[in-house]
Amino acid sequence: MLETRTENAPFWEPTVPEDEVLAQQAAHHRDEYLLLDPRPPAEINALMLAAMRRTGPVFWLLVVGLGGMVAALFTTWVIQMFYGIGITGLNRSVMWGPYIVNLVYFIGIGHAGTFISAALRLMRYDFRRPIARAAETVTLFGLAMAALFPLIHVGRIWKIYYMFPIPNQRELWPNFRSALLWDATAITTYMIGSTLFMFVALIPDLAMIRDRTTGLRRKIYGAFALGWRGTEGEWHRLEVVSNILGFVIIPVMFSVHTIVSWDFAMAIQPGWHSTIFGPFFIIGALFSGVAAVILVMVIVRKGMRLGYFLRDEHFSAMGIFLMILAMAWVYFYFAEWITNWYGNLPMEVALQEMLTGPLAPFFYLMLFGNIIVPLGTLWSRRVRTSLPAMFVIALFVQIGMYIERVLIIPGMLSRNELPFNWVNYTPRWPELLITAGTFSFLAFLYIIWTRVVPIIPVWEVYEGQALQGRRRVGRAILPTRSDPH
Amino acid sequence: MAEHKWTMIVDLDKCTGCQACVVACHAENNVPIASETEVVRGRGLHWIRIERYWEGEFPNVKAKFLPVFCQQCGSAPCEPVCPTYASYHSEQENLNIQVYNRCVGTRYCGNNCPYKVRYFNYRAPEFDAPLEQQLNPDVTVRGAGVMEKCTFCIQRIRRAAETANAEGRPIADGEVQPACVQACPSDALIFGDKYDPESRVARMTPHNRQFKLLEHLGTEPAVYYLKGGETHVGD
Amino acid sequence: MTQITRRNFLKVSAAGTATAILTGCGGERWVELVPYVVAPEEQLAGVPTYFASTCRQCPAGCGILVKIMNGRAVKIEGNPEHPVNRGRLCARGQAGLQLLYNPDRVPGAVEQSERGSRRYTPIAWNEAINRLYEGLNEAGSRVAIWLGTTTSGHLVDLFTLFADAIGAQPPVRYDLYAGYNGYNVLETASEGLLGTAALPAYDLANADVIFSFGADYLGTWLNATGYGVGFGQFRAQPYGKRGVFVQFEPRMSNSGASADRWVPVRPGDEALVAQALVRLIADEGVGPAERVEAARAAAADVDLEAAAASCHLTVAELAALARTFAEAQRPVALPGAALAGRDNALAAVAAVQTLNLIAGTIGQPGGLLPAQALGDAGLRPAVTSSYGDAQALVARMQAGEIDVLLVHGANPVYEMPPESGIVEALANVQTVVSFNPLVDETAVYADLILPDRVYLEGWGYEVVTPALGGLPVVSSQQPVVGPLHDVRATGDVLLTVARGLAGAAQALPWEDEVAFLRERITALPVGAFGGEGPDLQWARFQQFGGWWPAQAPQAELPDVEVGGVAPVAAPQYQGDEGEFPYHLHLFMNPLLGDGRGASMPWLQGSPDPMTTISWQTWVELNPVTADELGIQTGDVVRVTSPFGTVEAPAYVYPAIRPDTIALPLGQGHTDSGRYARDRGANPVRLLGGEPGDNGANLMWSNVRVKIERTGEQKSLARFETTVEEAADAHPPI
Repeated sequence: MLETRTENAPFWEPTVPEDEVLAQQAAHHRDEYLLLDPRPPAEINALMLAAMRRTGPVFWLLVVGLGGMVAALFTTWVIQMFYGIGITGLNRSVMWGPYIVNLVYFIGIGHAGTFISAALRLMRYDFRRPIARAAETVTLFGLAMAALFPLIHVGRIWKIYYMFPIPNQRELWPNFRSALLWDATAITTYMIGSTLFMFVALIPDLAMIRDRTTGLRRKIYGAFALGWRGTEGEWHRLEVVSNILGFVIIPVMFSVHTIVSWDFAMAIQPGWHSTIFGPFFIIGALFSGVAAVILVMVIVRKGMRLGYFLRDEHFSAMGIFLMILAMAWVYFYFAEWITNWYGNLPMEVALQEMLTGPLAPFFYLMLFGNIIVPLGTLWSRRVRTSLPAMFVIALFVQIGMYIERVLIIPGMLSRNELPFNWVNYTPRWPELLITAGTFSFLAFLYIIWTRVVPIIPVWEVYEGQALQGRRRVGRAILPTRSDPH
Repeated sequence: MAEHKWTMIVDLDKCTGCQACVVACHAENNVPIASETEVVRGRGLHWIRIERYWEGEFPNVKAKFLPVFCQQCGSAPCEPVCPTYASYHSEQENLNIQVYNRCVGTRYCGNNCPYKVRYFNYRAPEFDAPLEQQLNPDVTVRGAGVMEKCTFCIQRIRRAAETANAEGRPIADGEVQPACVQACPSDALIFGDKYDPESRVARMTPHNRQFKLLEHLGTEPAVYYLKGGETHVGD
Repeated sequence: MTQITRRNFLKVSAAGTATAILTGCGGERWVELVPYVVAPEEQLAGVPTYFASTCRQCPAGCGILVKIMNGRAVKIEGNPEHPVNRGRLCARGQAGLQLLYNPDRVPGAVEQSERGSRRYTPIAWNEAINRLYEGLNEAGSRVAIWLGTTTSGHLVDLFTLFADAIGAQPPVRYDLYAGYNGYNVLETASEGLLGTAALPAYDLANADVIFSFGADYLGTWLNATGYGVGFGQFRAQPYGKRGVFVQFEPRMSNSGASADRWVPVRPGDEALVAQALVRLIADEGVGPAERVEAARAAAADVDLEAAAASCHLTVAELAALARTFAEAQRPVALPGAALAGRDNALAAVAAVQTLNLIAGTIGQPGGLLPAQALGDAGLRPAVTSSYGDAQALVARMQAGEIDVLLVHGANPVYEMPPESGIVEALANVQTVVSFNPLVDETAVYADLILPDRVYLEGWGYEVVTPALGGLPVVSSQQPVVGPLHDVRATGDVLLTVARGLAGAAQALPWEDEVAFLRERITALPVGAFGGEGPDLQWARFQQFGGWWPAQAPQAELPDVEVGGVAPVAAPQYQGDEGEFPYHLHLFMNPLLGDGRGASMPWLQGSPDPMTTISWQTWVELNPVTADELGIQTGDVVRVTSPFGTVEAPAYVYPAIRPDTIALPLGQGHTDSGRYARDRGANPVRLLGGEPGDNGANLMWSNVRVKIERTGEQKSLARFETTVEEAADAHPPI
């Protein structure tokens, strides 16, 4: 028997079943599921705006602290430009270090945003609705941070335009046989694509804010809202554009980290020259990206008091997602090393001995953070719905994935075919400061961003709520969904 | 089609590890000297280096010297990876050229060189006055942020080619000698044009002791090593 | 104009894509690029000029060609015509440019009012020469002259004439290079054997077996380049032999690394092993009959077991080595520096030379070559003073018998053991004058520094010793660039001063040093490059880098008899075995030599061949010893001998005897320019001051030491891998 909605009643006023059991179930659903707990859009908007306006002392302390670190980042960079890469700890064998690690890491965390909002959107997973923007923001700023690193990394930043395909008097184009150029192309494409994707989804929310502010702010938001009025046609076109962009950006996303992995896999450096690197890097990127989104979700929910939007169900879903990715990552890592181990080639043996020898603390910490922690805990719903637990787990995954890149880049480079030239790498203050500065820069941009745009896409939330309903089957009430497509 | 195939032969049986080639190369090619701190940080910089490997244990211990410098690969891993063509294969000389002006310092070539003969200028070279008066005007002084490597003394090849051209004759065998070859007391380094059938390198190859370094990687080096030690009798 | 339709656009796009794919993955592996930004190496400007001269970075006297571009010396190369080095040049020879262009050269005459203050006041050359003159005038015969082995031959001759004229004792020609390698011992031994006091020249190129008793002839022994050339030919002999090279030494030098067999002999037992080989040839009767006979005549009573044990060999293995030597066509034995650095040095060197006598190759291809006569020009190889002579001069200075000390080419304060009392002795000399181009440790105690031109700016000749190549060679030295600073040739300064001194004016009548040189050189018979008349001969001498005959003169072989039994007493070690359990072994690496390479960054910064360490002093010890003492590479250790102490980081070295500790010479300067100053330690401090009892040599190879950790750490500037696991990795060769 279909539970009908009163013709004129808005979707945020659902009927309460008369049956006590059913009423309890309905109440339970309201508690559990965001989309079954509809509230008036005005109320949701106000909730979001209040969160955006809230700037306590902690916020300003963070802004100042992180801003200071950002200043340190750029100061160090300028010092490095002046004195050369020599101020870092790189050496004659390990020529790529934390800068490239950071490049890979930040592009990696940038994968989750797209995946969550584009892939899950196309597959119609509703739990992504309140998470999408937070994830896309991670993508956007992650990519921005990643884009810094080729610039920080090169020896002569002032000649960087040699890498751009621009008409020039040198009569020389960049070398498109170089994986670095594929990389630059892919990252640029991905950056443009994900920025567009994010912006399109922002338009209704910007319009919402425009309508609730005055003065200069109203003008700025108005400019970015592109005259959105919320007509049926506009919603329709938004839907179409989002779907097209979603379809376009997913292959781009896959290509980006594949190509990033080719920076390594194309080289004949032992430990790098592996066909598995493309998919392995994508899984790794999603893994660290999803963990990054979980971290952000915990912080946003706590910091901005957005418990209404970010509920246990979201953490639980993300936890399951993380667990699946952990399994996939283990699979790839195992496949990579079992073939190396079985092949018993001298260089690969040397690398294994390095990982289990001098680098063993890092290696085992990585395995602990990437395998033991997520696979050992995330099967439990209690863990998945516990904010502190999720925070710690996501942090372990971050650390593990960061170490994984460190092991791959400066780690593998410290071993090569001529043992005379094995040189270990130890970071010095510039790399550490620039790395810390970049993490701070990301956080800095993020917290500013949360005060500028709604970090929860409110329109997606009430779109979802409007589409949700409940169906009574016998003595149970099940959530249902009316999909217009 | 390239006219020359400049080739080096390194006779490991004759190399005594004396470092004459190393210093000669520094002098000829304006290669900066890494300070003590830089060496401690693993940034020693020599276009030609003599690797020393130990074999066995006391008292039956042996040391083996292996001079390693740019192998001028026919299929060089460093060439395709450079985004700015700073590392490319010159058709004229059949050498692997590093154009410092184009180099932006991505260091990809250094990673991809299995011989680790590409050195990065982590710092601007310093020549305390008047040491800079020694600098060879035929060779660029590389600044910070640029990758550099052995060139087979291309400036000497060019000079010999220009002289020979002006005199309307081909380059004679032995006319071009890189600084290391010229210095080597024990004649462990032999240089010449393999396409010239009368040249010493052409006559010496194939050699019964010959091997190429890391041959399995398929880089087609232009350097032949002749195995040393007690493994050969006569030749 | 074609209208762009959808269809056209697709066509163009497809074509563009195809082109992109084709260019990206085409069959051409190499692309031709002629861009605007080309390598400047492809654009050459200017034509270089080459000047022939003589290297003065060590006493060997190799011929060099200096490449000059735009008035600057940019490269030193070997002189291909030169019989000694045949166009080759060692690391130190290459680095001569960094002496010329050293930033710390003394730019002109300076005085130091307070010794050791390192505050120098520039003075005009006239005043400086006047002060030198006054000092010498007052001193009369109470003048001492201290020369180094790299002081040009013409200066040695001029100073000798000068000393003779003023009634002073002949110049002492001693520095660490000569002291460490035992030049005087080798010269004396040669005099006893061949009748001429000259450094022994061995024809390695034509030998088929080399037994080297600690002679690092590919590194620093006598003439590394010349012997290196010989070694290359030894390894590629025309008649299908590779040559067998056996090195006996307690610590593997880079010569030892090139050996087919490295025998770790106990320090001090080299002579014993040489005698044991003679004994074994005699007893086993291996080799040609005349060798066996000679061996029987020369064999002493040797404890074969002990000799073999000190080599980590069995007697049978030692006998196999004896057989290798005896059965070879042209075997040769080299007496290394360690023999000349112990007590009883002459006998020890003679024990090795006995092997050459038994081989019967003296004066023949592949053997010990006698010194060649130079004609009647009065030119002969400059003889080296012994450490005893140097020590005697120090004693005279100490006793106040010297008023003026002239130092050229030597650095006694750095090179003499502190035990010799050199620093205290200098205090008793009224005027100390240094002619060295850098403010070295001795110049710090000088009142006047009258910097000589460095060898690339100055004139000279060198009678080459050892005369490798079988030819007598007078190598020429000429200015290849104009003087960089306001410096004066010491020869000219000396001739100027001599004019005013009674006696000296007649003995040194030449207007300047060039007149002297010209007179000496034009008196030589016509050499390989001809030259009719003095002008042409003088020009050819400079043009070709020296004088040597076109063909080796028919040398009269001295009548060499294999002597009777010459037992060598067991070495007397300095230091009690209980307190000082380890033998000390000092070595020169081929870069810094005896320490004068330390002021040149190329030599400082290039890796030592065996350890690949640069810029530092290190202490080598066997892994077993290191384990016992709990020392690891990088631990700073204190090495103490009965005479002194040095501290340096340890380097665990697999090719050294467990009972031996080795240190490189060359660092530990307190002055000598910015690159040398305050770097490493000077192991000469570990040596005693007393000269050896037989040969008056510097005794460095019979010192015992103890070693202990200081608890500090210092990172070694190693070029090799610093990863321990690399030792287990499969080397590519």
